[in-house]
Amino acid sequence: MPVMREARPARGAFIDFEPEATSLEIRGFGLRYGDKPALNDLTLRVPRHRVTAFIGPSGCGKSTLLRALNRLHDLNEEVVQQGEIRLEGRDIHAPEVAVAELRRRVGMVFQAPNPFPMSIYDNVAFGLRLQGGLSKRRRDDIVEWALRSAALWDEVKDRLRASAWSLSGGQQQRLVIARTLAVGPEVLLLDEPASALDPISTLKVEELIRNLKASLTLVLVTHNMQQAARVSDYTAFLHNGELVEYAPTDTLFTNPRLARTENYITGRMA
Amino acid sequence: MMPTPPTSTMRQRLRQGRDRLATALITAGGIGVIAAVMGIAVFLVVEVVPLFWPAEPPRIRLEALWLPQDVAGLDAPAYRWQPTLADDGGPLFSLPPLVWGTLEAAAWSLVIAVPLALGAAAHSALFMSRRLRARLRPTLELMEALPGVVIGFVAGLALAPWLERHLALALALLLLVPPGLLLAGGLWRQLPARLQRRLPLGWAALWLMPWLVLTWGLAQWLGPLLESQWFAGDLRAWLEVTLGLDYASRNAVIVGMAMGFAVVPSIYALAEDALSGVPRSLAEGAQALGATRWQTLWRVMLPAASPGVLSAVMIGAGRAVGETMIVLMASGNTALMTANPLDGLRSMAASIAIELPEAAPGGTHYRLLLLAALLLFAFTFLVNTLAEVVRTRLRRRYRRLGGPS
Amino acid sequence: MRWRRRDTARARLPRGEGPWAWLSAGSVALSLLLLALLLGLLLSRGLGHFWPGDVALVTLEDGRQLAGRAVREEPLPDGSGRERLYRTGNRDLDGAIWDWVALAAIHEVSYPRELLVLERRRWGEFIGRLVALEPEAGPRLEGEAAWSALEARLVALEARREAIRRLREQTIRPLVRRLEREGESAEVTRALAAAEARIGALRASLGGASLVLESVSGQHSIEPLEEVVRARRPNAMSNLDKLAAWGQGVWRFLSEGQRAANTAGGVWPAIFGTVLMVMLMSLLVTPFGVLAAVYLNEVAHQGRLTRLVRIGVRNLAGVPSIVYGVFGLGVFVYGIGGHLDSWFFEASLPSPTFGTGGLLWASLTLALLTLPVVIVATEEGLARIPHRQREGALALGATRLEMLTRVVLPMAMPAMLTGVILAVARAAGEVAPLMLVGVAKLAPQVPVDGDFPFLHLERKFMHLGYHIFDAAFHGGDVQAALPLIYATALLLVLVILMLNLTAIFLRHHLRSRHGTLSSY
Repeated sequence: MPVMREARPARGAFIDFEPEATSLEIRGFGLRYGDKPALNDLTLRVPRHRVTAFIGPSGCGKSTLLRALNRLHDLNEEVVQQGEIRLEGRDIHAPEVAVAELRRRVGMVFQAPNPFPMSIYDNVAFGLRLQGGLSKRRRDDIVEWALRSAALWDEVKDRLRASAWSLSGGQQQRLVIARTLAVGPEVLLLDEPASALDPISTLKVEELIRNLKASLTLVLVTHNMQQAARVSDYTAFLHNGELVEYAPTDTLFTNPRLARTENYITGRMA
Repeated sequence: MMPTPPTSTMRQRLRQGRDRLATALITAGGIGVIAAVMGIAVFLVVEVVPLFWPAEPPRIRLEALWLPQDVAGLDAPAYRWQPTLADDGGPLFSLPPLVWGTLEAAAWSLVIAVPLALGAAAHSALFMSRRLRARLRPTLELMEALPGVVIGFVAGLALAPWLERHLALALALLLLVPPGLLLAGGLWRQLPARLQRRLPLGWAALWLMPWLVLTWGLAQWLGPLLESQWFAGDLRAWLEVTLGLDYASRNAVIVGMAMGFAVVPSIYALAEDALSGVPRSLAEGAQALGATRWQTLWRVMLPAASPGVLSAVMIGAGRAVGETMIVLMASGNTALMTANPLDGLRSMAASIAIELPEAAPGGTHYRLLLLAALLLFAFTFLVNTLAEVVRTRLRRRYRRLGGPS
Repeated sequence: MRWRRRDTARARLPRGEGPWAWLSAGSVALSLLLLALLLGLLLSRGLGHFWPGDVALVTLEDGRQLAGRAVREEPLPDGSGRERLYRTGNRDLDGAIWDWVALAAIHEVSYPRELLVLERRRWGEFIGRLVALEPEAGPRLEGEAAWSALEARLVALEARREAIRRLREQTIRPLVRRLEREGESAEVTRALAAAEARIGALRASLGGASLVLESVSGQHSIEPLEEVVRARRPNAMSNLDKLAAWGQGVWRFLSEGQRAANTAGGVWPAIFGTVLMVMLMSLLVTPFGVLAAVYLNEVAHQGRLTRLVRIGVRNLAGVPSIVYGVFGLGVFVYGIGGHLDSWFFEASLPSPTFGTGGLLWASLTLALLTLPVVIVATEEGLARIPHRQREGALALGATRLEMLTRVVLPMAMPAMLTGVILAVARAAGEVAPLMLVGVAKLAPQVPVDGDFPFLHLERKFMHLGYHIFDAAFHGGDVQAALPLIYATALLLVLVILMLNLTAIFLRHHLRSRHGTLSSY
């Protein structure tokens, strides 16, 4: 069970979790793009099978942090990182960790839907084919399961061979979620997954997020505070690359400890 | 229930290994290919160097390449390129005639191509209807793709004999086309508005074509008249007698026309890019102040786009200098150094194409032709790089000024 | 309300745009006109050549007669009227195949049906009358009987020629090769003798018969039937017949080899050489170009050096093709080819095998020449693929190789294809470098045949572009060859335009597809 702990009262207020309940542990993590610092000495634990939201003004580093969790920054040669990120207690930057396997375990859904230019079925089966060793029958089962989990099956079951680009924006985003679920991740990172969608599609995606936490750890980055309040269990407020406050969502939104947090959630901070 | 896919460590390792291997192979291959392409410069330099630092004493003096030489049978020293003519004096290697021929051919082709291409670029950036413009581009791209050997053949075997017989007609055309176009403009303004709408300025490029054909007909009538009136009935004889200009059937002007035709599309495409890339806000600002579109071009767009236009001309020059087949087939290949545009010429590229297969590898002649190739390479590479740098700068400037819209 | 509309039209154009607007419009019109003129010239001259036009019988004022096809008219040099050029054939009788006639000197022009046009193997066209056909045995045929017999015999003749050709290629040539490889052997010699005997028999059955001909000026000649390729009476042909003859002519042009030192016959070997060389080149340039582009765009550290290399590669596309030819000659032919010869083909030295221009070196040189085109096009395609597609693949646990092969490269496919097609179009039209590395005026052997290893990379080959250059500038009678050169040029231009149109279409398709993609 979560334990509230005032880690460094002078700089912020943080909730902490027992190691057994922790999925991701971020310890003293900093990151800069070339000479430009983006994240500074972050320490927090993300609880297993819960939805954790990162909120904060644009440029506060919340997306940068999210992308660090499955090492997408590896592609960018300018990025310099320090500190540790542990998944189930093991450092994700350890040399013996295969980055492809890490990314399978820590799935990610991006802001704009990015289905591949192939059929709906092939999109979902993409990750499965990479892993290999599956019979066609079993692959079909997993594809169906993933599409059902993403609440898309009923809409596409008759046109699995149609191009994924023929789907609407909201359907595409759920397809991307299904694609990610199919490879069996433990953690799902969501980078403003609903920002490009219309209100109804947004509601569907939010409902999906709530349903998925039964089996997954979810980390959600959003600039939409109502959304964070609706779907997340815990919320971390980041500002200027630093963690300001990290608390159960209702506490943070109804009774923030720090003035900075209050200013942001009440809209007084631009 | 969640059917997790199998994750075997074996396969994981295999995939990782494959990825590393492929990355290494791509890196090696990519660098190899690029090195091979860049190797051209290295090869040329390595082969040319022995000319300047020979292992054995050189058979010819190098400064002789650039200075007039004593030629048997002539009183004064002269420039001669006679690599295979080995009578009493031995072969004569003097590069200036070739350099001269190359530059003369390029210059004449630019004289023809630059007004045509820049005029066309200005017209399509300013006046042309959007639909016509969208069609014009691919058409001119096709024109660019016409092989040099075909253009050279038509220039050498159709244009040259025709021009030789119809010099006066050509002169009449040259004199009639510009005023003819202005006349078309003047007449157009007198047309009733309904007809003006039928023949809009945006489509003038198309409906002026019959007008040009009409001009041609007029020139056919005017040509002989001109000839009998001013040139004693025979323009060619008049040129030879009065101006002292020899007329060679395949001459620099023919080369210029053919090669000009060949480089128009590339100059056009780049100049049009530069002009239509000028931020719209600039041009609209000037037009809001009451400037005509042409004034806008002259005062606002051209100053902004001039580096781009310049780089377009430079790239055209690069093409003209290196073009081989057109010069080979349309120039007569006589290594002369005269300023007479109606005489033949021989370019470096054509010399290489004709002489290199016969030159003994490693010999002086061979190395001199390689020196010519190196000069061509260096010139075009430099010109293109410069043009590329200018264009990159220009794009950055446009972005600062508000971006192309 | 009409006056008001006129008013707005004036308002839109408050004053004229000045002279420059018209001059600039004229330069577009002039460029387009020149292009149309060039294409029209190629089309009319190239296609018109195969049309069996009427043959005129011209009677001059002085009573002289000539028969031929009118080619063009020109003003007389002294300005006193015009003269007309007739193509009269009969090189063996008159020494020339052209005749200029002043219009004023013409008394009468008629088109008699019986005028005969023979295409012969050695002397080109004969134009005149058929007097008689003398068979090897039997009575001499005259008049219409002679003409119908001639037609029938020509068909039989063609079949026998075909049989001889097949015997040569399929029986004799392999036997000769075997002889060269294995030395004399009784069996081979016997087979060879038998084949030769059969050819001899066929030959004998060809000949014997001959034609008695009479030109319109009254000269008689006897032509062995064996020499005749085709016989026509154009004035007696209907337009439909002529169209059929035209189609046949075009087909023969495309499918036959050249005759009479490239001034007659077809261009099939040149088409074959061009296509083969271009295919080999694209096999070479595609993988290497894509490899280099993938390296530059996906693998290389995106720093200043890569940027410089990229500009360098881009500018290599502007380096004159002849420079690549020089490189090919110096490095491939003299360098690598010379060494290959001294290592593997010492037996045949000093006559070079790979140490001279050939198919392989030409393809390699052109591959190098077109490499920048492919690299630039592929790089553009790669750069156009949105970053989120790559991240999507990586986020699913794909390695970089898997991301490239399964997502990125398939999406860049149209761009690569565009690049390769543009490269092919450029290579098909390049002649200058080929003159240095392996093109031949007349290649006795096609680079592909039934002998091991079937594809002979060291052989020289013929090329459409070079064929144009050679026939136009090194041929004996350029005037006679001119129609064929026009046809060849037209063919080359058509092939290249087709390739370019495909590339333009593909690029357009590519843009519109990525347009929908980036609209999210």
